Amino acid sequence: MTGSLSLTSAEARFAAGAKAPVAPSGSTQSNRLDTGGLIDRAAPLNFTFDGKAMTGFAGDTLASALVANGVRLVGRSFKYHRPRGILTAGSEEPNALVELRSGARREPNTKATTAELYQGLEALSQNRWPSLRYDVMSVNQLLSPIFVAGFYYKTFMWPAKFWEMIYEPAIRRAAGLGRSSGLADPDHYDKAWAHCDVLVVGSGPTGVSAALAAGRAGARVILAEEDSRAGGRLLSDGGEIGGMSSREWLANALAELSSLSNVRVMTRTAVFGVYDGGTYGALERVNDHVATPPEHEVRQRLWRIVAKRCVVAAGAIERPIVFSGNDRPGVMMASAVRTYIERFAALPGKRVALFTNNSDGWRTVEAALRAGVEISAVIDSRPGIPEELRAMAEVSGFRVFNGVVHDVRGGASGISRISVAQAKGTTVEIAADTLAMSGGWNPSVGLASHHRGRPTWRDDIAAFVPGECPPGMVVAGAANGDFSLGACLRAGHAAGIAAAAESGRTQKAGSPAAASDEALSITPLWHVEGKHKAFVDFQHDVTASDIALAQREGFESVEHLKRYTTLGMATDQGRNSNVTGLAIMAEVSGRTIPQTGTTIYRPPQVPVAIGALAGHHRDENFHSTRLTPSHRWAAERGATFVDTGLWKRAQWYPLPGEKDWLTSVDREVLTVRNGVGFCDVSTLGKIDVMGPDAGAFLDRVYINAFSSLGVGKARYGLMLREDGIVMDDGTTSRLAEDHYFLTTTTAKAGPVMQYLEYCRQVLWPELDVQLTSCTDQWAQFSIAGPKTRDLLREIVEPSEDLSNEGFPFMAVREVKLRGGVVARLFRISFSGEMAFEISVPARFGDALARNLMIAGKQFGVIPYGTEALGVMRIEKGHVAGPELNGTTTAGDLGLGKMASKKKDFVGRVLAAREGLVDPNRQVVVGLKPVDKARRLRSGAHTIPKGARPSPETDQGYVTSVCHSPMLGQWIGLGLVERGRERYGEIVRAHDPLRGEDYDVEICNPVFYDPEGGRQRG
Amino acid sequence: MRIACPFCGERENGEFTYLGDAKPQRPAMVALEVAGGAAGEAEAFYDYVYLRDNVAGEMDEYWYHGGGCRSWLRLTRNTATHEITSVEAAPGTGASSSPASTAGTIS
Amino acid sequence: MADFTWTATSPLQHATRPRRHGAAVQQSGIVLSEVLDFSLVLILARRGQWSATAKAAKEFFGAEAPAKPLAVRGKTTTLFWSGADQFYALFPRVPAAQPLDGMREPFAAKASLSDQSDGRCLIQISGPKVRAMLAKLSSLDLDGSVFPVGAAAATSIDHSGVNLWRDTDAADGSPVYNVLVFTSFADSIWHTILDSSAEYGVEVVRPHALDEKPSS
Repeated sequence: MTGSLSLTSAEARFAAGAKAPVAPSGSTQSNRLDTGGLIDRAAPLNFTFDGKAMTGFAGDTLASALVANGVRLVGRSFKYHRPRGILTAGSEEPNALVELRSGARREPNTKATTAELYQGLEALSQNRWPSLRYDVMSVNQLLSPIFVAGFYYKTFMWPAKFWEMIYEPAIRRAAGLGRSSGLADPDHYDKAWAHCDVLVVGSGPTGVSAALAAGRAGARVILAEEDSRAGGRLLSDGGEIGGMSSREWLANALAELSSLSNVRVMTRTAVFGVYDGGTYGALERVNDHVATPPEHEVRQRLWRIVAKRCVVAAGAIERPIVFSGNDRPGVMMASAVRTYIERFAALPGKRVALFTNNSDGWRTVEAALRAGVEISAVIDSRPGIPEELRAMAEVSGFRVFNGVVHDVRGGASGISRISVAQAKGTTVEIAADTLAMSGGWNPSVGLASHHRGRPTWRDDIAAFVPGECPPGMVVAGAANGDFSLGACLRAGHAAGIAAAAESGRTQKAGSPAAASDEALSITPLWHVEGKHKAFVDFQHDVTASDIALAQREGFESVEHLKRYTTLGMATDQGRNSNVTGLAIMAEVSGRTIPQTGTTIYRPPQVPVAIGALAGHHRDENFHSTRLTPSHRWAAERGATFVDTGLWKRAQWYPLPGEKDWLTSVDREVLTVRNGVGFCDVSTLGKIDVMGPDAGAFLDRVYINAFSSLGVGKARYGLMLREDGIVMDDGTTSRLAEDHYFLTTTTAKAGPVMQYLEYCRQVLWPELDVQLTSCTDQWAQFSIAGPKTRDLLREIVEPSEDLSNEGFPFMAVREVKLRGGVVARLFRISFSGEMAFEISVPARFGDALARNLMIAGKQFGVIPYGTEALGVMRIEKGHVAGPELNGTTTAGDLGLGKMASKKKDFVGRVLAAREGLVDPNRQVVVGLKPVDKARRLRSGAHTIPKGARPSPETDQGYVTSVCHSPMLGQWIGLGLVERGRERYGEIVRAHDPLRGEDYDVEICNPVFYDPEGGRQRG
Repeated sequence: MRIACPFCGERENGEFTYLGDAKPQRPAMVALEVAGGAAGEAEAFYDYVYLRDNVAGEMDEYWYHGGGCRSWLRLTRNTATHEITSVEAAPGTGASSSPASTAGTIS
Repeated sequence: MADFTWTATSPLQHATRPRRHGAAVQQSGIVLSEVLDFSLVLILARRGQWSATAKAAKEFFGAEAPAKPLAVRGKTTTLFWSGADQFYALFPRVPAAQPLDGMREPFAAKASLSDQSDGRCLIQISGPKVRAMLAKLSSLDLDGSVFPVGAAAATSIDHSGVNLWRDTDAADGSPVYNVLVFTSFADSIWHTILDSSAEYGVEVVRPHALDEKPSS
């Protein structure tokens, strides 16, 4: 269970109404109340903002601590570098973005409103130079005519190269937000799964009520809360529930939830996305609230929560009103003013005015009065201001105006005066250092709309509510447009019971707690015309006039509006601004708001760090690795490893004094060709093909026949795709009448297994055949070279006949090794040398490698790696991955004659298509530079001598190259048009990538021992 | 997305691999000695390999539970909403010995 | 000529030395061990032969062949489901004997058999935090109500196929999970398990045989 559910001592004192101690002497907290708030005055914390030392308390956010310290200017805006303060108290904050921490942990664009205060926190303001107060780039405001909507598109169109060289660097320096550290993130992240019957998103009154009901009903419940503390608006809004203070009710409810073993409360956990099949993405900020995570702990954890049902109780977000200067420090959302006062005991100002178009804003007046703050005036734009509110104003001694705020004045450190245009026509100037604004509430419709459900408009609350929700989800409470406390509690309870019942949990859940049903009264007001900039999207500096301009220029659709003005595209994803923006668009385009519509909502709902999405999978854990049974032995010998898919394979085994890889590889090849060596081939895919129809099955998947293969024999096989192109190749042996041992290339092991299962289960269920991978069961080595048999005679029991007659080419059988282990021995050769492959159960793989070294010592045995293996296969003209590249046919590879004419097989029909049997196709040939000292390179194109290189004259390309110690020069394989008819012809190898152009000779791809005598000897 | 494997129960989609449209039927294997190939087989294979409907709505698809029981499954899935209305095992999963109704045999 | 020495090695043998990893806590949240010296045979029923295969298994192993995702314990053998009409037989290794010895006859024409004794490594995980840790590796719901003792699954960890089944609980009441992984992936998965366990404190106990309880 995460998070603390019991009252802290500070809360207990608060709940009891006791006087808390005054802030410690030396405190910088000029705006901190002496009592109240959910902060622990016994736990003071030091922090710095722009290097200035300040103090706060445990329970503070950075924003609340800044408010308590009287800080009003916290950042500069994105485009115009306007001074900005704190607007909100939640994750929707657009202005108060800071760089948090330092060094490699420096994190830009962190919302001060969600960053929990910790001892030693360091924060820097962003987007200013040289200092927050004197910012040179605020000159951008003077240039604002060119920064209007669509300025990127208009101003910097031409000439094109100016964009890269001049405009973009200049804009990036002037605009933009924080700086990333540029260093590797030193912290750890991980990912986890969680499963439940009912996921409740949000722990305000609705969420807690839903979790209680579902939990009591017996459902497995996860209650996810993005804040560090459960409670939502209950932490800020006061009120009574069931005859007790709402905080007391909350404490009781959380205590009950923690007593239920089937309920898990996850705080600091933001649900950010709704995915298919009841899967939800959530980000838990496990250790963002401390300077550095404790050792072995993660910083953040990404959750994938699988829930049968989901109750979204994500609440609503208060929206700004758009008027001149509404972005100035000191203008704050009314609900945020309330939160700072009630939850954090921090005063945003000393003289507060309220500008509202609805009844809820007045609750801020009540909270401010309770805290002893002077209310300078209330400006309510509704035509009829209720009598009881006017009476309250009279009693409390503040003025109430029916009208609007049309301008504010003040400097970078905050507002000082407000201009009010009264409905009756006169203008009044009011002194105030803080203006609380409330333009109404937008239900959080994001999660509910992640499956393209379109929110629907409700006139009574002047807001969108969720439309069709993703399957299994319901939205309740404020997120669904129910704004009264009583309605939230009832809706949460009902949703909790229903969700539990739909998950099959129906125990008694009691009845919902009762509270006031006071409904929201609102008269929409979006925009007040004025002389100065009036902001809609604070973070992206989108103004009301930008929207009007977009409309005039034809970008009327909300999706166009969004992209043209960048409205809602900042890190807050328009949670403050979208609805207001489209309401203004509706106004200027003469449509209704529902006609104007909303943009599409997509995950993530809150920013998610890439580190959290990657989790454990970074650096050496980027992907899992596969090791062969003798890996440790190879490592002991100093092998250089190469990544082949997930496998680590020994690439070569350098000896002391060898100065480069080529020296090692040449030595390995020569040793094998003249003596004996062995190579780990355990990575080849191995599949047991079993059952009475195994042979018939293989006949269908290979172009050549396997049912006719005798027991104890191996055969090279080639598989085609249905389109006639080669899929894979390998050697397959018949170990028993009903048991074949099929091998694949290392790369295609997985895909071939999947394909064969498809054939068995989907295409030919009538065939009685069983398949299973046995790749990991066997350690397999290729032993090659003229002294192979000598070595083997040392290690196998003397009774085993290894002579050419007793163990002919392509024979397979079990042999006993000296000391008791039974091995499978295959007389097959990839190197073109006399060779065997030997396999033992994987647990003996390490011992086999060591024993081969002992047995072969007198013959000078060496291990060789994949590079030498590659050299020898090129010398022999054997095709591999670069030739089996998804474009080649059996004929292209020179293997066309393998195709059986007596049986059908996959790919037969389409392989006969005109284009695939065209004599002009590019086919595998050998290639060698005419200048023997020349290095041949893969990827070079072959062009006829004398032709100008162009796509029309391009006749093929080099696929594989190596330095051949046998031929003493670089050689290669390639795919060349009509290549087999052109042996001896000189063409150009044209390599524009490396700037090379040289003559090469087309030749037989079998460079070495073309008669094949060595491997059969 | 989650798929209810008829053998394993509901699993996350990372355990599955998508193949595609389950509608096209592979033309039957033929006996080459007799026919040397079937009449019109090139056209039949062309249709089978290349021709696909681009369905916005319910579609039958093959999925492979390679990260689980290695069964091939036939799903009915709405490509527009990802809603899965049916999951069945392919005819030849496990030991089922379904007659060669669709795939044909070498005769 | 002297005979060769054939020392069996596990890819985990250097990782499984008894020690404590991760957070220094009083009681380790995770107890981890490798199970050694087992034979493992995959039994795949042939077409139309499921009942006959199940009957043969019952006679040969004295345990009910699992027809759904379960692990069934016989006297010395555990049979656990691995897919449609297929299951594994896991039993102690008999020195010098081939695992398929003696099995071919009773299962002839009924099932195909594949020796996987060396193709898999078996990791046993327990401890009070085992479910929290496995939630990082496995997408399965391992809650006791959903995945009780004897439940089995063919699933994936870190994109690699594994067989997972729940054993009888440990002495301290913690659930015990067996994770059967591909041999080539064992080292990688072991380290992923260690990383995922570190915050809870891990005790690696010495490798043990199938019929032994892990102990330090």
